[in-house]
Amino acid sequence: MGTNQDWARAFARQALCDLDAREKLTRADAHKCHRLLFLQMAAEKVCKAYLTVANGHENVSNTHGYVAKHLPRIAVYFYGVTGNRMAEWERRAIESFAREIQVAAPACKDDNREDNCEYPWEDGQGTVRVPCEYNFPKIDDSAQNNAIVKLIRLIREASQSYAA
Amino acid sequence: MTKSKLETAKDLAKAHFANEPRLQHVYILEPLNETDPREPIKLLEVVEGTIERGVEPIAFAADRGLGIDYPVWIVEVSPREYGDEQISRALRNHGWRIADELPAT
Repeated sequence: MGTNQDWARAFARQALCDLDAREKLTRADAHKCHRLLFLQMAAEKVCKAYLTVANGHENVSNTHGYVAKHLPRIAVYFYGVTGNRMAEWERRAIESFAREIQVAAPACKDDNREDNCEYPWEDGQGTVRVPCEYNFPKIDDSAQNNAIVKLIRLIREASQSYAA
Repeated sequence: MTKSKLETAKDLAKAHFANEPRLQHVYILEPLNETDPREPIKLLEVVEGTIERGVEPIAFAADRGLGIDYPVWIVEVSPREYGDEQISRALRNHGWRIADELPAT
């Protein structure tokens, strides 16, 4: 039977694989919904890796809504232990991203928002929206967004810490 | 030379205060068990505005390359949760008790 450490390692490895998939999709000029989907999956899995060791796999496997809280905390920790100082704009960007990426998961419905990167939804005007035709205006995941680039690097480093 | 858990915890608290302006208090959760390097350093951090999810620790692995010789578990709660009996009970259920507050500087 797998230990909590085994599960944490497995989540971390899958997070790294999800990030690799996102990079391939980005290079292939994939739709934003697909880039965000893999980013959201990587963010979920790195958080689950960090939650599993302390809370137990059985308590973590079906939880939702934890990315908005714990991804910024993981960022604060890694900035701290590497001797870096997080700028205020960066902290806000990470929190905003964590919140938005959590909303992008169809299983998590925050603030009555239906927009997500996987399933069509009906907006407030009665229009059925399609993820691949939606531009997710609250998330800029482009390579020009320094905060996102740093955050993706952080997710990768945090995953590698448990993946070995 | 390896730092003690208490020294490591103090350094972590300073680093967290430097990177999280809404962090109000950091407390050691005992037992610390200085003699057992596998026993994590456990910190209770009170952060204004954090999402309230109760006692849900996140665990950081020891990483000698980063100067962290022990696992570190962090429980983040809001100021309201900090005063909540349910949180105190949940901490007790883990076998933890709130001990010294760690300074920001």
